[in-house]
Amino acid sequence: MKTVFVHPERCIGCKQCEMACAVAHSQTKNLFLSVFETPAPKSRIHAEPGLLLNTAFPNKCRHCDPAPCMAVCPTAAIRRAADHPEIVMIEPRKCIACGMCAMVCPFDVITYYAAAGAPGKPAIAIKCDHCIERQRQGGSPACVEACKAGALQFGEINELVKAARTRYSEAVSVAVTQVSSELSALPANVVAWRQLGAEITHLNADGKKGA
Amino acid sequence: MSVFSGNGYEKLSINADTLAMLEKARRDGVETVWDRLAKQQPQCGYCSLGTSCRICAMGPCRVDPFGEGPQRGVCGADADIIVARNLARMVAAGASAHSDHGRDILETLHLVGEGKTDTYTISEPEKLRRLAVEYGIQTADKSDQQLAAELAWEMMEDYGMRRAKLPLAARAPQARQEIWEKTGTYPRGIDRENVEMLHRTHMGVDNDWVNILLHAVRTSLSDGWGGSLIATELSDTLFGLPTPKMSQMNLGVLKADQVNIILHGHNPMLSEVIVAAAQDPDLLRLAEAHGATGINLAGLCCTGSEVLMRKGIPMAGNHLMQELVIVTGAVELMVVDYQCIMPAVTETAKCYHTKIVSTFDKAKFPGAQHISFDPEHGIEIGKQIVRLAVENFPQRVASKVNIPVEPVEMMTGFSIEAILQALGGTPQPLIDAIVKGQIRGAVGIVGCNNPKIKQDLGHTELTRRLIENDILVVVTGCAAIADGKAGLMTPAAADKAGPGLSAICKALGIPPVLHLGSCVDNTRITVLAAALANALGVDISALPLAGAAPEWYSEKAVAIGVYVVASGIYTVLGTTPPIFGSPNIVKLLTEGLEGVLGATFAVEPDPNRAAVLIRRHIEKKRAGLGLSALLPDSIVMPEAELALV
Repeated sequence: MKTVFVHPERCIGCKQCEMACAVAHSQTKNLFLSVFETPAPKSRIHAEPGLLLNTAFPNKCRHCDPAPCMAVCPTAAIRRAADHPEIVMIEPRKCIACGMCAMVCPFDVITYYAAAGAPGKPAIAIKCDHCIERQRQGGSPACVEACKAGALQFGEINELVKAARTRYSEAVSVAVTQVSSELSALPANVVAWRQLGAEITHLNADGKKGA
Repeated sequence: MSVFSGNGYEKLSINADTLAMLEKARRDGVETVWDRLAKQQPQCGYCSLGTSCRICAMGPCRVDPFGEGPQRGVCGADADIIVARNLARMVAAGASAHSDHGRDILETLHLVGEGKTDTYTISEPEKLRRLAVEYGIQTADKSDQQLAAELAWEMMEDYGMRRAKLPLAARAPQARQEIWEKTGTYPRGIDRENVEMLHRTHMGVDNDWVNILLHAVRTSLSDGWGGSLIATELSDTLFGLPTPKMSQMNLGVLKADQVNIILHGHNPMLSEVIVAAAQDPDLLRLAEAHGATGINLAGLCCTGSEVLMRKGIPMAGNHLMQELVIVTGAVELMVVDYQCIMPAVTETAKCYHTKIVSTFDKAKFPGAQHISFDPEHGIEIGKQIVRLAVENFPQRVASKVNIPVEPVEMMTGFSIEAILQALGGTPQPLIDAIVKGQIRGAVGIVGCNNPKIKQDLGHTELTRRLIENDILVVVTGCAAIADGKAGLMTPAAADKAGPGLSAICKALGIPPVLHLGSCVDNTRITVLAAALANALGVDISALPLAGAAPEWYSEKAVAIGVYVVASGIYTVLGTTPPIFGSPNIVKLLTEGLEGVLGATFAVEPDPNRAAVLIRRHIEKKRAGLGLSALLPDSIVMPEAELALV
């Protein structure tokens, strides 16, 4: 099963995945022209901040199976694509914007906006379609192509999981044994930057200081 | 097959030499600018739209152009303020680059005045005297050296804060100067406007985006009617006035049996001494001893244009050729001064025997040999550099050499003085031809290469469409090299022009596309426009003129674009500056400026469509002057073949 695999430790919060997603789902597919479109194209991926400063997680539809959103949709607007059964799709014309799918979504990634695919409707449910049009032309999802930090990868999930697992076992062993930081999976500058973020977060969280 | 289409490398350039060297680069395993552009795709949308801000440490911030995410930075700046600040800083960087180049030339004039250089003298005493008079210096009974000292002293004031107005800006028509005064954009001091621009765009200073952009205009004018103009005028004074002459262009100017030295950068101080040193008999003998039949110099980018205009030194190529010229395997040494020299050249050179020598202490390159240039003893340093090249000739690997094409002839050397001389001493014949409609108008095509546009397609297609329609084209910088390589700059190219322009070119023996110099020499275009406007008693914005930068990439080009528009000349850009994140600023630059400065920008990557925009504008201006004119809308706009990039 092919999916967009997220490495949250690699996300630097640049939000370029959001920008690329919105352009990929615009009418013109052109950055400069898409900003003048009505309705404005919307991103289906959301790089939201983590608890600590300088951390973020690019959150998007995980295309669950069974998909709770599909189960609750009263108009059967949500279905699996015939040629890509791993992708959960929303049919814009069938959507009645009732909000049920958003309520049951485990990841809270379904939003409601006007869309070019549903003319006349003030809002419909919008979520990731795994860039099915790009995939049909042999491409990969726009968010993955835009991610220059390696936080988003597209491929067979078991292969990606294995690669991540191997790296993690090494990194975790470092954390547990407190041996030299050179063995860490992250570059030293990123580790230092994260540490700084953690320090600032803890400093601000300490209600006693400066009181 | 249309020039817009192509497979493989044909998508990247219209030039046979580029395509051959891209294939060789692939075989040799050399990475090029096009490879790196592909690896950068897709490029950051916030930065492309201008809505990212990294000015302060509360940020970095970005504004979501689609309205869902943040609409203000941490400080509260919205898209308008962020785009304005970013654009203004681009203008300041570009104006600073030109003006600092001008400063180096001015310091050289100062050295000549003090008698402290064994290398430079006054080559054009008449021009020196004209400039001295313009600065209110008494010239009677004074030696060139004395005048050089006094003029240098006065011009140094142009960089400071004691002037209310830059003296050279007085060359602009009265009506234009009144617009600058009314809008608070009359340039005062070159360094002052640049520093004030950086001050204003610090967080919490100027937060009115219109006010920020007005000062960006003032900053650009301190370049166009200050720093760049000083660079041009003093380079002419010190190194000689360009006069029409024939030369050659493209990679075919390299010679298989000679020591090849590439002059790359912008400042003629250095390239002039290399030209002198390459004629040194001892070094020529040394070259022969090493098995070469001579020492061959070839230019690249604007320093190439400087020595081409004045000395007829042939030109190897424009901006995107800087790596590929090394890939020929035939270059012993590339000597660089500053600006537009990709850090990549030293990496490319590692794959061949080519040595890279950097010369200015303000522009060092990891992997290059640095020989600090000292204008007091320039010629000795020039000889040292040429000697390095000659001694490197035996390291050349014959099997790696490929000079892929034969050179193309072109005509260069059109300073304003030379143009006036070609016209018989006054601009009147040009004005008469425009009035009669033989020439519909004139357009400056300027600027860089940008790998986002098929190399030279933007320049050459636009040039062809304009000259076919009897519009005289003047060119500088990399645009000039594009047209030269395409064979549009010989007197015989008059056959490619419309009947009116063709007849005039043939009568005068000039090409329909005139080479006015390097990118600081865009001031020749604005000064010529001012002279025409003054002769007619109108503002520059009334004239049937336009500017175009079809393939621009650099901050310097942004500064040029702004001073050209602020001087009253409609300008079409081929690539977009990072402004689309602010619809307000797009509207101001493409429409609103008309009411303020009498000229606007347009963005149109497709050269055939840009040509129509320009032709419509020229006919509109002709009608405004009461000259015979077509109805602008009768000129049909073709479908786009090249998309917005």
